[in-house]
Amino acid sequence: MFGGKFSDGNGKQTMNFQQVQQKQLAPRAKVKAKTAARGGGAGRRERAAILTALAFLLPNLIGFLAFTFFPVIFSLWMSFTNWSLKPAVKFEYVGLRNFTDLLGVNATGPGAPAVLAGFLVCALAVTVALVGALWANMAQWRGIKLGGALLALTGAGFVFVGCTHSLQGLVLGGGAALICGWSMAAKDAPWEFGRGTLPGLVLSAGAIGLWLLSGAMTHAYQPRDPYFWQFFYNTIFLMIGIPFGIAGSLALALLLHQDLPSGEARQRVVGAATMLVIGLVMGGVIWTQGNPNAGLIVGLLWLIAALGIGFNVVAFRTLFYLPTFTAGVALMILWKALYNPKTGPINVGLNAIFHSLGIHATAPEWLGDVAWAKPALVLMGTWTCIGGTSMLLYLAGLSNVPKELTEAADIDGAGPWAQFRHVTWPQLAPTTFFITITSIIGGLQGGFEQARIMTAGGPAGSTTTLSYYIYNKAFQDLDMGYASAISWILFVIVFAATALNWKFGKGLEVD
Amino acid sequence: MTNNFASRRRVSLTWRLALLSVLGLMISMPFVWMVASSFKQRAEVEQPQIVPHHATAHNYPIVLTLEKEPVQNKKLDLQFGRWYFNSVFMAFGTTLLQVLTSALAAYAFARLKWKGRDQVFMLYLATMMIPSVVLTIPNFQGMVSLHFINTYHGLIIPVAFSAFGTFLLRQFMMSVSPALDEAATIDGANHWQIFWDIVMPLARPGLIALTVMTFLGSYQSFFWPLIMLNDGQLFPMSVGMMSLDTSYGRQTELIMAATVMNIAPLIIVFSIFQKYLVSGLQLGGVKG
Repeated sequence: MFGGKFSDGNGKQTMNFQQVQQKQLAPRAKVKAKTAARGGGAGRRERAAILTALAFLLPNLIGFLAFTFFPVIFSLWMSFTNWSLKPAVKFEYVGLRNFTDLLGVNATGPGAPAVLAGFLVCALAVTVALVGALWANMAQWRGIKLGGALLALTGAGFVFVGCTHSLQGLVLGGGAALICGWSMAAKDAPWEFGRGTLPGLVLSAGAIGLWLLSGAMTHAYQPRDPYFWQFFYNTIFLMIGIPFGIAGSLALALLLHQDLPSGEARQRVVGAATMLVIGLVMGGVIWTQGNPNAGLIVGLLWLIAALGIGFNVVAFRTLFYLPTFTAGVALMILWKALYNPKTGPINVGLNAIFHSLGIHATAPEWLGDVAWAKPALVLMGTWTCIGGTSMLLYLAGLSNVPKELTEAADIDGAGPWAQFRHVTWPQLAPTTFFITITSIIGGLQGGFEQARIMTAGGPAGSTTTLSYYIYNKAFQDLDMGYASAISWILFVIVFAATALNWKFGKGLEVD
Repeated sequence: MTNNFASRRRVSLTWRLALLSVLGLMISMPFVWMVASSFKQRAEVEQPQIVPHHATAHNYPIVLTLEKEPVQNKKLDLQFGRWYFNSVFMAFGTTLLQVLTSALAAYAFARLKWKGRDQVFMLYLATMMIPSVVLTIPNFQGMVSLHFINTYHGLIIPVAFSAFGTFLLRQFMMSVSPALDEAATIDGANHWQIFWDIVMPLARPGLIALTVMTFLGSYQSFFWPLIMLNDGQLFPMSVGMMSLDTSYGRQTELIMAATVMNIAPLIIVFSIFQKYLVSGLQLGGVKG
């Protein structure tokens, strides 16, 4: 096996190697014979292998057991108790009460069970149809185009109603349905009815049913823990940044995946220097003409372009990655200052623009306004993530798209859009799917830091997410049992997303 | 024809450069504002002009409590230098332990053959999807029972073991050719020697990637220190920044100086290790 390799080298090495091999072989053969005679040799060797592995595994395994495995079990057990750090609370098992308190509803009036049943059926139908839609999409079922169009239509209707009645939730849900439906309807498939139509149909019907029944539901029933549902809604709402972030990351990756300047090092240096001088002159002139901020911006624009010429795409990649890389408490404090309604540069700039255009409007209060706090956080999140890990993953994905495919499309006369739509985008499907699922998993668990640092969950609880709710329950109210129960509900949702990833992620490998 | 193609290419190149520059400007403006504000005087902070008329560098020594704060004429009531040290110390401790334990475990998963290996590995992988908040509550309870609250080891030990690190290093170690192990075994090397002299050096890109990622992650970690500490002496930078913002949040110029000092080490580490980091992220991501 190694003969060829070693005979290429000098003779001495070959000699040594063979000697060692003989020396090693002899005792081994003896041992083998011994154990074979005694019997159970395979078992002993296996045990020895396990012991060796255990020696390497032990440090990590201890930590794993102590800080992951047992805590999970402990946490599950806690969620069935009223465990509290308050000395006054007497410990007792409460069974499923934490969960029923979280998810249950109380009848406040003459509650019609039929309404509740109908609502639950619709909710179930929507959940099942969502998975079904994903499935139909992956498996290319017949009739998917029709179902998608139906879904998109329903979504558009919801968006319209939501806009006219200024209901953020309807706009949000409708928008999601519109995007999903559009992506299904845009497939290259004939317009026909088939089983692929069903998920779209059921989803539309279920959503309309939920909407129709929601009035009667809120009239007849009240959730036992209304905060839970509000904060769940907040968590979902804050995830609307995900599609924008993904689209942005893809756009950046498409802009970055080919080299920028064509030329030698000397040409690049000259180009960069020229642009730098232009930037300095232009910025300086505007600055001294009485608008220092505009001068700064123009100068910076030229500087960045010069960096792009000088260092190629690496300059931009580094720049775009900077917010992800430095993300944390410090950046949130920075954004808090940026969003300051009176002194923050965003509002100073907006008010200046309004003033110069003669519009009688004041800029929003951002984090202090119930309607604007969530969009403000979404904007910050998009700024932070747009050039981050997703962009790097897309860049890796783009470099894996076979050259032959794009060249063939070029020869066939496909324009840039057609090439993207029919070659690049399908090839990137696994990456997109992976990014989507990981973003959803991250989004479900997210929102703690910004709530703690920027908004304290407010105003009026509008930026409290589930993770911040858990933190408040556990470490402010010291109600560990209830907090564990919420965290387990979160776990189940995250698990569902992960299971989707496992189920569908594997089948997406494009080769 | 060729000329036409080339000129079309140049036009598209110009557009791409312009678009990228505008996007780059949008990404970098908050940072520019941050740095500019940190050099402003108190009187200028609330003026719309970004670059200060009369720049001052005094905000930095004020935050580091080397100088008195001019308005109240006394030093700030905080320990910025100590927070720096705490963050770096915590990050070093966590990183050292995590990389070491992960590497050992990754070797057992990647290079040794033993019964039940794949099952145990699946268990490890499965724990990666547990939301950290599920584990935080029982772990906090454990720390309370062990009297680890307000200690360095309470901050470091529970986060020193990582399934992700094990997974990442396993991926790197799998790519080291098994023929090397076999050759070394034949040469009489034991597992420890193979691990230390052969696999570890060859998995170096992965080790560096994990080291940098862990270091940065724990430098920025917030939730765990927040619940574990109420002693300002032990605050890491993240929690310290929060308390700084709570007490001096109205003095934007000081907050921004602190923010710059918080971010600066990250940017230095990033510019040194950029290459390894990108490869580690892509490997950990795509194959996850």
